[in-house]
Order: sequence, then structure tokens, then C-alpha cells
Amino acid sequence: MIWVTWRQHRAQLLTTAGFLVLLGLLLLGSATEARSYVSGYFPDGCPAGFAHCGSVEVAVGLGERYDAVYTLFGWMPLVLPALIGAFWGAPLLGREYERGTHRLAWTQSVPVRRWLAVKLGVLGGAVVAGGLLLSLMVSLWRPVFREGIDSGFGNIGVFNMTGVAPAAWWLYAFAAGGFAGTLFRRTLPAMALVVAGVAATMFTLFALSDHYAPPDRAVLSGTVVLDDPDARLVGATWVDPSGRAVDDPAACERGLDTGRSSAKAEAWQDCLFAEGYAYAVTYHPPERFWRFQWTEAGILVAASALLCALTARRVLRRRG
Amino acid sequence: MIEFQLDRGSGVATYLQLVHQVKHALRLGTLRPGDQLPTAREVVEKLAINPNTVLKAYRELEREGLVTGRPGLGTFVERGFGGAGLAEHTRLRRGLAAWVREARDAGLDEEDLRALFAAVLSDASREGVA
Amino acid sequence: MSAPILEVPVLETTGLGVRRRRAWALRDCSLSVPAGRVAALVGPNGAGKTTLMLAAVGLLAPDRGHVSVRGTAAFVAQDKPLYESFTVGELLEFGRRTNTRWDGEGARARLDVLGVPLGRRAGRLSGGQQAQVAITLALARTPDLLVLDEPLANLDPLARHDVMRTLMGEVAGRGLTVLLSSHVIADLEDTCDWLVVLNGGRLQVSGDIDDLLAGHLLLSGPAEAAEGLEAVSATGTGRHATLLVRGDRALGPRWSTRRPNLDELVMGYLRSPQAAALPGPAGVAR
Repeated sequence: MIWVTWRQHRAQLLTTAGFLVLLGLLLLGSATEARSYVSGYFPDGCPAGFAHCGSVEVAVGLGERYDAVYTLFGWMPLVLPALIGAFWGAPLLGREYERGTHRLAWTQSVPVRRWLAVKLGVLGGAVVAGGLLLSLMVSLWRPVFREGIDSGFGNIGVFNMTGVAPAAWWLYAFAAGGFAGTLFRRTLPAMALVVAGVAATMFTLFALSDHYAPPDRAVLSGTVVLDDPDARLVGATWVDPSGRAVDDPAACERGLDTGRSSAKAEAWQDCLFAEGYAYAVTYHPPERFWRFQWTEAGILVAASALLCALTARRVLRRRG
Repeated sequence: MIEFQLDRGSGVATYLQLVHQVKHALRLGTLRPGDQLPTAREVVEKLAINPNTVLKAYRELEREGLVTGRPGLGTFVERGFGGAGLAEHTRLRRGLAAWVREARDAGLDEEDLRALFAAVLSDASREGVA
Repeated sequence: MSAPILEVPVLETTGLGVRRRRAWALRDCSLSVPAGRVAALVGPNGAGKTTLMLAAVGLLAPDRGHVSVRGTAAFVAQDKPLYESFTVGELLEFGRRTNTRWDGEGARARLDVLGVPLGRRAGRLSGGQQAQVAITLALARTPDLLVLDEPLANLDPLARHDVMRTLMGEVAGRGLTVLLSSHVIADLEDTCDWLVVLNGGRLQVSGDIDDLLAGHLLLSGPAEAAEGLEAVSATGTGRHATLLVRGDRALGPRWSTRRPNLDELVMGYLRSPQAAALPGPAGVAR
């Protein structure tokens, strides 16, 4: 059965592996070039413990290099799971039903139960391995640019490209595609459904992820910026001198800034702080990275297991 | 070995066609005592017919005492048709050919020949000669 | 007649009922096909032929009754599905790896005789070759029962002949039992010796073809004389009537009688869905 699985799905396996290799080469090239750029400025190594060694010029140069690659992989957290769902998951059963080959596959000696278990197991395993490899590559590449600045917790896009999140997302998309195939018994509609389903799940979980833990609260005075660029902000509000939260403090007159200037907004904030107001921020500190990773992975793995069970139920009930 | 042919439009039952072809071959001497008939598998792989049809034909031939089935070996021709050996057959045929020439010279066409032959055959059978 | 007194059934259904999409596709179907027989499954579209076959090979679970196969059943579905991107050799490898019993050598030899190249992708074979590969895959499992859904559809006459030669050779060689569906009865006349007629999800006829043909007469005569005659079905225009009747009776000089052929027998039953010719409760025993 493992040979059969390989033979039937080698196109997807090889394409995905090829894509990961290409991405790896791109990240390797980018990281190598960035390292030589930094060592051009600081041949004896970095004194400051930051990727940019405290130099503004280097920070700008690294930022440009980082952004160039980030524009490419910024959409990967959404697109890659969608592709996995569409090209690994949807055809798994959709194509068998569509071409009638399920009647060939399921009338051999191998029981349907085992056929499905091997397919879901082997391909699910491959998908998880691919997701982990992607995460590993991104985790090695990113610190070259962002070390000492952030760990990828604050930016939800980056968060979903590191740790166990990509593997969990890929697995979920694969399982969802498999189930969609049993619903339509055709590949194309199953692909459409799984892309829509993965997108919907992603926006739901992005919104939900703020509630994976009760957020911390910090009351700021004199500034509205939290002193940790890696924290994930949940909410913010003004607090009046009596400690009540106010959405729109009226104690100071607020002028309208024109163009890119924020002078009037800053003046308004200074005025409020002078009046005894404070700025309360709710946020998740970056130490929660793994807690959030495992929470998200747990939700997705549980959903994948449920989808696989539903798939098995439908397949075993309606084999013909 | 005999090669069976099927005439699917003839309306004659398939097994009877096989029986007739064996008898015909026996009459013409192309099948002789001791010869083996093709196995059911060989026949059906050529003609694409049900094996039971072949077995039915062979059973019929066996019932008439023309062939015997030897388990594990095959089906063999037991005897030809009474008296008419190959030499005899050739002699009679020559006589008939001479008669046909004579009749043609007398102005009879093929239709006339058939009718005449059939009439004589039928008279003979009524007299119990054949 | 030729049928033995008792034959061992390879396929047997009792009170089989299968629902598909909430409607009954097959109801109260009790039949058996004895070993070594080539059974023709005929009936109009939607009669339940495919449903019966899917149930026989275990792809559909019965909602009522039972279906049992003595030994292993192999199946060639309609349109002979194959993995089109696989080469013929890879399809054989697929069969070897998904089966416990597998006659790979026999399969290779058969394809060699048929001139099907092992290196060619299944999707690039001709229709006849695809049918031969699908049947070869099924036969390599050395099944006791081979179920074929419309094996001759979409094949040219030569390919039909070749497919039937393969099947008949296998029946003669090792006593394989075959159940095959078709709606072209002429294709079945020389190859099948057992008849199963389904109509509207119900079983109408099941039995040995020679016995069935010998047990019916086709009458042709004046319509007014047909009144009161118990017939399977009657057709006619104006004063002339043609009747399919059961049994062997002399009806006097006004009727011309003869044995029906397979086509006439099947059509006669399909015309009157309430008529049935089924063996008694003893199954195939007569």
C-alpha cells in the first residue's frame, strides 16, 4: 500500500519537495548575503547583540533586504495551506470517485479501512514533515535580520510560519480537502470548498488567538507605545484620573493632523497625560510564544482528527 | 485437428453447428478414428462461446457413439460413418461427378440437379434403402 | 435438459434490498448463480443491475436481506476504471501489492498474447486494450466469481469478441463463474447460459437459459382467440396477436407456435413487469 500511495501521489510529493528546496535556497542566499552585508560594516563581529549591531544605517539596509523576501512569503501562511488542501487533500478521494477508480481500489484484497488509514497516515505524515521543514527554514533565516528585535510572536503572519503552526495548518488543510472530496465526489468543487474553508478557518483562528490566554495589562504614562515590539497587542484604552476607562477623552482639544505629521496627536496625548490620564494596554508578552503555538496546533490537530473520522465514516458507508 | 466455424445468422443452435461440423468432417474423412477433438477451452478461446455449449455438442456426439471422452486426456473420435472409407468415398464421388457432367450435357441447370437429387434421395428413403 | 439437479451456488442473495439516495434501487431480490455459469444480467436502465453488482462485490451494504459469495469476487466496474497515469506494468504492480493471491505471471502472459505493451500508460491504450487490462487485473486475483458491469459497452466488434474469448477461456479453464450485465442481448446469446432479468429494482427472471427457452412458446394467431389465454405478455396490431406463454401446449391450427429466442424471451418479460419466472424456494434445485 505504501508503494501504491507513493506512486499515486508522487507528483504532489515531488512538487512540494521541490518548492521547499527552492524556498530553502532563496532563504539561504538571502541570509548569506545579509550576513556578509553586516560583516562588511562590522568585520570583528557585532558589539551590540542586535542583528544590526546598533547601526541605523545597517538597520535600514537589513530592513530593505528583509522586506524584499517578506513580500514573497508574507502570503505563505494563507496560500500554502490552501494549496495543500487543494492539491493534496481534495484529489485524495475526489479524484478516485470522479474517475471511478475507487471501485478498482476498494475491490482488491486490501480492506478499505486499511487503504484509507495508509493514505491518510503516509500523506498526513509527509504534510506535517513539510510544514516542519518550512518552519525550521524560516526560523533559521529570520534571526539574521531580526535578532534582538522580535521573535515573531507579535506578527501573526510570522507567528504562523514558525514553530509547529505551519505543520498544523498543512495537516488541517489536507484533512479538510480529503473530507471535501467525499462531499462532492469530484475534485474541482472540493478544491474550491477547501480553499474557502481554510481561509475561513484562518480568519476565525486569527481573531480567536487573542483569547488563547487572558491578556496582561499595562498602564502607561507619558507614552502610548509598549516597550516591547514583540508583544501582541489585544486592546488599548484611555483611563481617566479616577481609574475609569474612557473611549474618547474630552479633557483635551484634539486637533487634526495633516499629511504625515502626527504632531497634533502627540500634543493631544501629552495634554491628556498632563491632566492625569493614563493609557492602558492589554497584550500578550512574547514568552507565550510556545503556549500559543501549542494551543493553535492543538485546535487544528483536533479538527484534523475529526475531519479524518468524518471522511472515514463517509467512505465506509458509501463505498459504491 | 478440426477447426470449428460459426454461422451466427443461420438460426441453427450453436451446439448443433458444432455437431454437424464434426459429422461433416467424419464424412469427408478429414477426421478419422483416433483423432482428438479440440478441448472446450481451445474452442471457446477461438469462437467466444460458452464452454457448456461445446460440452453439450461433445455429449451429443458421444451419445451417438461417434466420440469418447477420456478423462484427463480429451475427446477422441471413436468411429467414422459406417462402411464409407476414404477409398470408397473417392470412388462414389467420382461416379457422382460423372453423373453431374452427364446431366449438364442433357441441359439440366444447377436447380434442376438439386431437385432431381433430392427427389431420388427421398424416394430411396421411402423404400428404406438409405 | 442440460441442467444438473443441484448445482453449488457461487453467488446467492436472499431478500436482498438496497437503498440508494433514499429510494429502493433493489427490492426483495432472491437469486443464485451456480458455479461455472456465465450469467447474463439484463434489464432497462435504472433496473438495479449496477446496484446488484456493487452489493455482490461488497461495495454496497444491503439494507435488507443477505448477499453471499462462495470464495473471492473480483469486479470490473462500468467504463473499466484504471489509474490512467500508471503504466500497464505499474497497474500489475498495484494489483500485486494490494492482493494476497496474485497470478502476475499469468497476467503478463495474457497481456503479451493480446499485444498490450507493459510500458504504455493506461490512459493511452485503446478502449479494447483498457478493457483487456481491467479484466486481466481482475483475473489475476484468481477469483471464484467475476462480476463485470457492461464489459462490452463502447467496444468495437473485434474487441468485444476478444474480451469474450478471454472470459470464456477462463470459464472453461478453471470453472470461473461470471456475472455480466449488458443491454445488448445479441452479445449474450452464445456466451451466457444463465439469465437474470431485473426490472424496476425487482427480480423478474432467474434461471438456466436452455430451460427457460424450452419452457416458453411464442404464439402467433388471431387476436380474438387470445382472450382468456394466460400469457407472460402479448403484443399485436388489430386482429393479429403474438403471445409469449409458459409451458408446452397445443392450441389448434389457428396458432402458429415456435420456441422464442433469448431476445424475445427477455423482451416478453420486460414488457410486463409483474410477470416472473423464478425458481422455487429451493433456490437452484429443480
